[in-house]
Amino acid sequence: MSKANSIKDITFSRKIRVAILSSFTINGLEESLTVKCAERNIECETYNSPYNQYNQDILSSTSSLYEFSPNLTFLIIDTRTILSSLFYNPYSVSTSERREYIDNRVNELVSLVERFISVSDSKLVVANFHAPVYSPYGICETKTEYGLRDMILDLNAKLADSLRNESSIFIFNFDAFVAKYGDVNVFDYRQFLFGDIKVSLNYIPYLAEELMGYIKAHLGINRKCIVLDLDNTLWGGIVGEDGFEGIKLSPQPSGMPFLEFQRVILALNERGIILAINSRNNEDEALRVIREHPHMVLREENFASIKINWNDKISNIKSIAEQLNIGLDSLVYFDDDPINREVMSKALPEVITVDLPEDPALYTQKLMSLNDFNTFSITEEDKKRGRMYVEERKRSQLENSVSNLDDFLSQLGIKIKIIKADKFTIPRISQLVLKTNQFNLTTKRFQEEDILKFSQDKNMLVGCAQTADKFGNNGVTGVFILQKSPDYSEWSMETFLLSCRVMGRRIEYGIMSYILSEARKEGIKKVRGRYIPTKKNKPCESFLPNSGFKKEGEDWVYYTDVPFEMAKNLELIAE
Amino acid sequence: MSVPVSRINDESSPETIENWDSFHGLILADELETRFSVKFVLEDLTSVKKVGDIKKSLGKYGILINDE
Repeated sequence: MSKANSIKDITFSRKIRVAILSSFTINGLEESLTVKCAERNIECETYNSPYNQYNQDILSSTSSLYEFSPNLTFLIIDTRTILSSLFYNPYSVSTSERREYIDNRVNELVSLVERFISVSDSKLVVANFHAPVYSPYGICETKTEYGLRDMILDLNAKLADSLRNESSIFIFNFDAFVAKYGDVNVFDYRQFLFGDIKVSLNYIPYLAEELMGYIKAHLGINRKCIVLDLDNTLWGGIVGEDGFEGIKLSPQPSGMPFLEFQRVILALNERGIILAINSRNNEDEALRVIREHPHMVLREENFASIKINWNDKISNIKSIAEQLNIGLDSLVYFDDDPINREVMSKALPEVITVDLPEDPALYTQKLMSLNDFNTFSITEEDKKRGRMYVEERKRSQLENSVSNLDDFLSQLGIKIKIIKADKFTIPRISQLVLKTNQFNLTTKRFQEEDILKFSQDKNMLVGCAQTADKFGNNGVTGVFILQKSPDYSEWSMETFLLSCRVMGRRIEYGIMSYILSEARKEGIKKVRGRYIPTKKNKPCESFLPNSGFKKEGEDWVYYTDVPFEMAKNLELIAE
Repeated sequence: MSVPVSRINDESSPETIENWDSFHGLILADELETRFSVKFVLEDLTSVKKVGDIKKSLGKYGILINDE
């Protein structure tokens, strides 16, 4: 409470307005949220609905709740309130009456929350209900049809089903929260009888911590990548000293903590969290464990970036962020060595350096307690993300391992498919036309409607290149727009560009050879191009002369009777 | 409750101390329980009307507070 009073001197980088509506006394929650937000440089303004006034606050369109205009609203109603007199003895009414009672409560709640989101544009987080652990029926409770616990579990299930498709409503698993800390701890009878407090004061901060997950998701400050040390973090022992056989990584008690830790990390990876390694070790020795150790759960293909060397860990982590093209504030770092952690958190405070407990048995629990990976949705894109990063890493690994570009390209096995613009490719084509700067000969910007018009114009040809290699598909990465002269003597390239994602692989020569051979096929004698220099497009400065074009005044011209050699190592597939 | 110690005496109560409401009273009780390793009964909580009563409650559990 005193911390809440002393938050004045922090420079906040973000703000959020949070409303709390509750059926019981929940004092202390707003202060806890404010303090936890301040710890993350978030300014949290709160509104606490008057005691048990949540119905009135929501139903009246001029209530101070709506005046407060929250970004995020928490609605926490407790089991005693929802069950009312049935809480003490649900069996005073028949089974069908109990079912009807619950259905009515579900309908009421759903109407209430839908009313709220129809008036406010706030996201709403509704707490579900804690199933009572005591029943007057004792051990016969579970033998009874639609008993006390069944009623609440049914209520929770029906609530979840009814609200699942409302994108602005989330269900907070209050039942799981109570289970986590124990009914006997979260509920203090004295506080309840003294002031209708149904979450004990000591547990309010824990409740606030859970709710922070929603606040972080709303502000989009979720972390995207877990960076891991190896020795004594992913396995027990030091591979450089204990050797491949000596490290602890097995179903025995000494190795189990690390297996468990890896399994939980793998699940996060499969959900879209990228993984990276930052370790001071001999690369071969460490990679051998990752590749060959029979009990290793995480394998090379799970890691989007691997930095195993004798450099300092700070520069490693910086290059990891650079390589993955994400900010340092997207990283969470795990290292068993407290000195490494201290150095890291001082040098790079934007990285979350997890305070790993000394006992590896508790690593997993610590990982599970982080709520920094929360987002409001998990998409198919997210699940594929890990794989795309790994594909990119394998490409750069290959590039570093071969001595020349030719070998690299021949091993990549690039396939280029040229497609004429159609309704599926036009959106991506116009995206590239609008944002590509580096490999762009003329940097002419056209909107999607223009691209559509050009594609329908018989004096123009709009095409794109879809590329793939042995590691994966890159999608549409090249675009060209050709203007055909009315006398059929020449074509001029209005636009020729390549996504920076695939620069340096000679794909541009593949696309050019398609253009030139099409021109030749249609009896066109000349293909004209222009290089309009800008601050950013130096990378394509020599492309036209390198392709065999000759300068004529301002333009570059290719005479199609001159044979064109396509770059080797590229396979061209035309539609 | 952000009150300077000098202002507190046995007669201090929710009437004389601004921040002393039932909620802050509970927090105080909680801290006293932790500090002195005692557990108040509900009657202790409801019967406290002034600082002097707090001392009496603690006295029940063998905790003696002098005036320093």
